[in-house]
Amino acid sequence: MSALSLKGPAWVTVRQYRRTLWLALALALFALAVVAGLRIYTAQEPLPMRDGTWIPGADNHGYPKLRAIMEYVSVVTMVLPGVVAAFVAGPMVAREYESGTYQLSLTQSVSPADWLRSKVTVATGFALLAMLAVMGLFWFGRLGVREGWDYHWGQAGTYTATGVTALAQVLAAVAVGALVGQLVRRTLPAMAAAGLVMGVVTLAFNAYRWSILPLERATGSLGADGPFTPSGDHLYMDSGVLTSSGTPFDQAICWNQINAIPGIDGDPERWEKAQEQCYAEHGVTTQYLDYHPASHFWPTQLIETGIVLALAALAAFAAFRVLRARHP
Amino acid sequence: MSTTTEGIALRADHLGMKYGGRRGGWALRECAFALPAGRICALVGPNGAGKSTLLALAAGLMRPTEGTLTGPGRDDLAYVAQSKPLHPRLTVADTLRMGRELNPGRWDEAGALRVVEGGGFSSDTLVHHLSGGQRTRVALALALGKRAELLLLDEPMADLDPLARHQLMGLLMSDAAERGTTVVMSSHILTELEGACDHLMLLAGGRVRLDGAVDDLLAAHTLLRGPVADLAPHTVIDSRTTGRQLTALVRREGPVEGAWETTEPSLEELLLAHLRNPEGAAA
Repeated sequence: MSALSLKGPAWVTVRQYRRTLWLALALALFALAVVAGLRIYTAQEPLPMRDGTWIPGADNHGYPKLRAIMEYVSVVTMVLPGVVAAFVAGPMVAREYESGTYQLSLTQSVSPADWLRSKVTVATGFALLAMLAVMGLFWFGRLGVREGWDYHWGQAGTYTATGVTALAQVLAAVAVGALVGQLVRRTLPAMAAAGLVMGVVTLAFNAYRWSILPLERATGSLGADGPFTPSGDHLYMDSGVLTSSGTPFDQAICWNQINAIPGIDGDPERWEKAQEQCYAEHGVTTQYLDYHPASHFWPTQLIETGIVLALAALAAFAAFRVLRARHP
Repeated sequence: MSTTTEGIALRADHLGMKYGGRRGGWALRECAFALPAGRICALVGPNGAGKSTLLALAAGLMRPTEGTLTGPGRDDLAYVAQSKPLHPRLTVADTLRMGRELNPGRWDEAGALRVVEGGGFSSDTLVHHLSGGQRTRVALALALGKRAELLLLDEPMADLDPLARHQLMGLLMSDAAERGTTVVMSSHILTELEGACDHLMLLAGGRVRLDGAVDDLLAAHTLLRGPVADLAPHTVIDSRTTGRQLTALVRREGPVEGAWETTEPSLEELLLAHLRNPEGAAA
């Protein structure tokens, strides 16, 4: 945070936003203190295990609090790129145009490209540190509450907080902010637009990231006891039944047929029989489950990171092109 | 904005600037001039004449729509925009430090401090808390500290009280004279220009109406008082009749002959006559 060793436009950028930087540092220290405190508090009472099942101790108030805070921390990793983009677009770039200070900044002995580069560099460095801090906080807090049940790697929050895509997201956020800030040129609309862009990117990846790699399918005979699961850590995606020829069969057909039988609701045994009969009529022989094995985590992370980095490069390129087109 | 012709600080050729895309109006149109280096040029004209646009173009903040404007590059010019933009959350000392950081190797700390002195504020004051006149001081300090070849000042003295105006104008003029700086300064305050400027450019409706050394311009014009009569072949800039008495400012074509009392106009009279008739005879 020390501005002593900085030179040129970077010094100016850090000096301008030092209050924000100090505020963010204070917030990070506060969050760390809260999580560390709760971890110490939670560790006072060992978690009781009964018959291999974790039962929350009635007196252990720290555990549920820490767990709730960890949920928030994982959400922060998803929201932070939007905040970074909004800050770069609004206060850092658009405000210079809105308040006219660009007329001051762009008539000094540094080129417009140097001016924007210093903003992008300072914002990138700081935002990466902030994201690493939040991810570190998640890792640190998670160690205290992973007994019982752990955060599943397939959950959006955990996925973001424990991988590398979040770092690429931060880079994209800075680049998108630099571009949107120049295009919109008014602080609040620029913040909203840049935050929206990163929000859409995050939501799109949350919705479609598990469509990147092909699913694995486990199959079993219909006769097996209840729903079966593939061995090992996996992320459930879909399940259903197949006919003998291997084509998926819409289970709703049988369910509708069975539900039409009067008085079947209160009789699970009869229901079961009717289903078996219906499946036999339609030639259904197999059940299946589509899933991602844990080994898909890193390949998915890397592919997503690649896409986000490409987006970041594109936005950064466009940002400097717009700058050069406007300011000779 | 790269090479400067020998002896010319700023040259415009067929310069035009249009705002707001295809349907926007022309802020400047077909401007052509060559400002000799070392001049203190007053840029005058009614509101909306294109003064600020010309200065911003010279500062390299925009690309002209057509034509060219040739002058010193970013490193060698200093610009103070009309709104005196400064970063509100920096202190005065930080703002001057910014000048040093962004102009390495050429920053003149003492020169900048000389402008800030006498402003009635300490260097750890936030820019945000400065008055309009104090901001002007800091903005001028940044511009002078840069040691530029060309100083572009948009309404520099508008926010200043008469005393501060006198002091800063003096500082500016002695500094420019000492270093041979070319100054282009737009202003509404005609008295501020008298005695300070040796070159004049009058803009109206986006066009250059008058451009030249003040002495040449004054010598080319004559103020007439006398009976109402045809003033041909002279070009009448402005005329008023009171009863049978005619007062007119003309640009002479040859010696003035007739029953008129002739005097050389003051700079203010010359400017007022042209400002009153902006569509009148172009230079």
